[in-house]
Amino acid sequence: MSATALPSQRTAGVRSRPRALSKLKKLFFPVAPAYLLMTIPAIVLFTFFIIYPTVQGMFWSFTNYVGYGNWHFIGLANYQAAFADPTIRDSYGFTLLFAVVACLLTNAVAMALAIALNAKIKWRAGFRTIFFMPMVLSGLVVSYIFTFIIGTSVPIIAGAIHFAPLESSILANQHTAWLGIVFVASWVAIPGAIIIYLAGLVSIPNEVYEAASIDGASAWKQFQRMTFPLLFPFFIINTILTFKAFLNVYDICVGLTGGGPGTATTSVAQTIFSGFFTGDYAYQMANAVIFFIITLFFALFQLSVIRRRGGSL
Amino acid sequence: MMKAVGLGAAAVAVPGLAAGCSSSGGGGATTSIVFEETKPEVVPYFNNLVAKFNASQSHVAVTHDFTTNLIAAFVRGNPPAIDCDNYNLTTSIFVARGVLADLASLPQAKLINPDIQALVNQYASFHGETNVLPFSVAAEGVIYNKDLFDKVGVSSVPTTWSEFLAVCEKFKSANITPIYQTYGDTWTTQQGLFDYTVGGMIDVAAFYKQLNSAGTSLGPDSPVSFEKDFTAPCKQMLSLAPYFNANPIAKHYADGNLAFASSQAGMYMQGPWAVGQVLTINPKLKMGTFPLPATDDASQTKCRVNLDLAVWLPRSQSAAQRTAALHFLDYLMQPSVITAYNQANLAFSPLKNAPPQTSPLVSGLNQYVSSGRFYQGAGTYVPLTIPVGNFIQEMMLTGDVAGFTSSMDGAFKRLAIRTSA
Amino acid sequence: MATQVTTPPPVAAPRIRARRPRPIPEGGRVNWGLTIVIAIVSLVVLIPLYFAIAMALKSPAQTGTGTGFNFPWPMHWGNFRAAWDLTNTPLAFSMSLLITVIAVAGEIFVSSLAAWAIVRNWGHWQFRATFVYLLLALFIPFPVVALPQVKLMAAIGLANPFGVAILHIMFQLAFNVLLFSAYIRSIPGELEESARMDGCTTWQVYRKLVLPLLAPIAATVGIFAFLQSWNDFMMPQLITANPKYQTLPVVQYLFQDQFTTNFNVAFASYLMALLPTLVVFLIAQRWVVSGIMRGSIK
Repeated sequence: MSATALPSQRTAGVRSRPRALSKLKKLFFPVAPAYLLMTIPAIVLFTFFIIYPTVQGMFWSFTNYVGYGNWHFIGLANYQAAFADPTIRDSYGFTLLFAVVACLLTNAVAMALAIALNAKIKWRAGFRTIFFMPMVLSGLVVSYIFTFIIGTSVPIIAGAIHFAPLESSILANQHTAWLGIVFVASWVAIPGAIIIYLAGLVSIPNEVYEAASIDGASAWKQFQRMTFPLLFPFFIINTILTFKAFLNVYDICVGLTGGGPGTATTSVAQTIFSGFFTGDYAYQMANAVIFFIITLFFALFQLSVIRRRGGSL
Repeated sequence: MMKAVGLGAAAVAVPGLAAGCSSSGGGGATTSIVFEETKPEVVPYFNNLVAKFNASQSHVAVTHDFTTNLIAAFVRGNPPAIDCDNYNLTTSIFVARGVLADLASLPQAKLINPDIQALVNQYASFHGETNVLPFSVAAEGVIYNKDLFDKVGVSSVPTTWSEFLAVCEKFKSANITPIYQTYGDTWTTQQGLFDYTVGGMIDVAAFYKQLNSAGTSLGPDSPVSFEKDFTAPCKQMLSLAPYFNANPIAKHYADGNLAFASSQAGMYMQGPWAVGQVLTINPKLKMGTFPLPATDDASQTKCRVNLDLAVWLPRSQSAAQRTAALHFLDYLMQPSVITAYNQANLAFSPLKNAPPQTSPLVSGLNQYVSSGRFYQGAGTYVPLTIPVGNFIQEMMLTGDVAGFTSSMDGAFKRLAIRTSA
Repeated sequence: MATQVTTPPPVAAPRIRARRPRPIPEGGRVNWGLTIVIAIVSLVVLIPLYFAIAMALKSPAQTGTGTGFNFPWPMHWGNFRAAWDLTNTPLAFSMSLLITVIAVAGEIFVSSLAAWAIVRNWGHWQFRATFVYLLLALFIPFPVVALPQVKLMAAIGLANPFGVAILHIMFQLAFNVLLFSAYIRSIPGELEESARMDGCTTWQVYRKLVLPLLAPIAATVGIFAFLQSWNDFMMPQLITANPKYQTLPVVQYLFQDQFTTNFNVAFASYLMALLPTLVVFLIAQRWVVSGIMRGSIK
């Protein structure tokens, strides 16, 4: 039937009904209902348990609520105070610097270790288990171990071998304490990153590498031209996730330095949580909303940089 | 030593915990209530107490909860039926927001020493009610090593600032660290050096009352401010620096306990909790405590106290829960129970005409506690949202007193702006 | 659609079971240089671990001296006994286990379903929007939601371990969907097409074909999920109303009091809590390695 035929010339009646029905179906159920059943309930629950409380939390930032008892609206007072608070400003400075450095360090080391742990080394399974260990320990254990090692053991050893820079604990110096936090936070985060890179690496079949070796490619060339591009989606994921996790650092700052010396290593999450547990909830909620916006901004910024370099999620 | 007793009691008490949960049979319904008490080192002690209570009667079955976060409990709307915990500025918010019951009409309320009851309202009050009943008062001062004192020839504890400096000098010339400081843990400097010096020189409660009423107008013209009132005490604190151990910023609470227990220092600005820790390391150490004499007028010397344990009930409670909780409160707050607890835990009873604390470890503070010559630490009046401990640490490291006082004034002013909105 | 078939349709694919990975090295020389380098780097992990174990075996007196690396002799096994008694370990352990098992199973199931549905329908804007919606929520800081969630769970009667497990699933949804979707993209759609042509429904395709293929990434997600749930302190403490149903990390908080911490007993307790994690690791690790099977499909 030609497309220019008059409507009256199109066959009407019984045959068009199933077609109309299937057109209707396509409109409301453009995909198989099974797919909808797989996503919609999850999204609804997610919205209820996560998004709804978030909105509530944002609401409380305009009040003086402490979680219970009497409260009233105070408008933007919390936000005005937050912008003028040097403690909050300093916490953002420290947290951002720390997150950038720790993210770079973690991803570089994790990728290198993942490639090594995927290569033909002896006792590969054993070494993999060893390198996964740090993420198994809870924050409390890690904090205590490293407070002792960095604060006591290292100075003693450095004193014995006369290595001056480490003779006093780096955690005790306002300018170097953040390095201790970077080290410990990376120590804990690297195993997780290794796992993700490994999951990506095992999806690259051996034949690809064999073909490259036959063609005479050096190890670095193999990495540059083959491994890294194939790992790129995982690199994106890891960078964004580790950065976000480091922005939220809390356990390690509290356990390792208590936020000190002075306020040199007080993180944003630490400041926010202090509000929850000490009756200054609504004020720190304003801080938290600001923090959320900044986190989002960084994520979008990272995504746009990646998009420009040709990657996709 | 105390720890071993505690652990032994724990092994006995755990079955008691289970027994408390099951409702016993005959003779009317048994009401189950939750008693919250979270001070870790006395959890076994209270497990025992609860077990004894449950065994002695069958109307109320008490469960001892030592893990629940109180704020979360109020947020959920199910606070414990009765609580016995540290009373500080944070818990005083419960008072301020009116979620605690008024206990003024209870017979136990009349047994409390009014000086000690006043400590409750110094943080917060709610329409003149009595919402919290003190159970145990901890007193803190300068812990000293008796043997080392004899060694350098100090025969009696110093009662004036000049005498105190003289004692420090004696230690210094004998090459023994006079005072051990652990800046690494900010709370140790805050509760010790800072609170003792400030509390000995100014009227802390009055200061904060006026500071909070100044509110948003806090500035150079206010009747009180940190700059006006804290500069002198802070300078005095810093003047003690030559008498501290080397590298205090790298030392933490555990290091301080170890050093003091090994007789490496003559004096240690800590509380009774540290005494217990020191004794586990060196059970033979002979110690005593005296309040820091911050001025040259011995009669002005006061000691630092805090309400280590205090009892309250939530305001909204079913009648059955309230009755059961009060039943347990009657048991808990018997003078014999209160006295026994405080004696065993180096603390002081809040009751009128309480017997003195006999342990030589802290008996040096008896007269100050019984005569009302005490204060709650200046650092404890600061909301935790202002990291005063970290500010103090910074001041100790840089010597910048003006920076400290202006940080504090600024922080309180900002706090006033957003809480008065 | 192409009528020429260049490769035989892989009908047998769904029936391939995960084979045990061949022992290493597979037909190549062992890289000894790299092995030595890795061994040296592994000290960075082993030394702190030794420290933790040594702490659990010392007494307070032995702890304070020297560098802390001195060997614990005599060994104080009593620390473990003390930890066991003080924290009512069996009950707390089972609570932790309950939450973790529900959370891990739920996370793998819910997230893989959602991720697969999203990736396979990437052409429709609704699914792309859902993906972005989930990702945005990844960046919500926990403190923002903590208190309202406590109120919410109490209001709907879920102030108990089940509530905690549900929240774990919801919190990890975004991250897990991200992981699963990245992996699913590398699974060719033709496999599913041919399965469908054989008459499988969407659910059957998922169950019989996709889920087994997802084993490595599911193991990865499972490891993360297990750790997050097992070690989580904040959420159980805030959400669970009844102290009897508390998890291990919360009960171990007893040791965290700053005034009188007995670190040796605390470490003994932490090490005991570590054992299940090690077991899970050893099991899951083999599944991640079994990704070698993927090569055999090609």
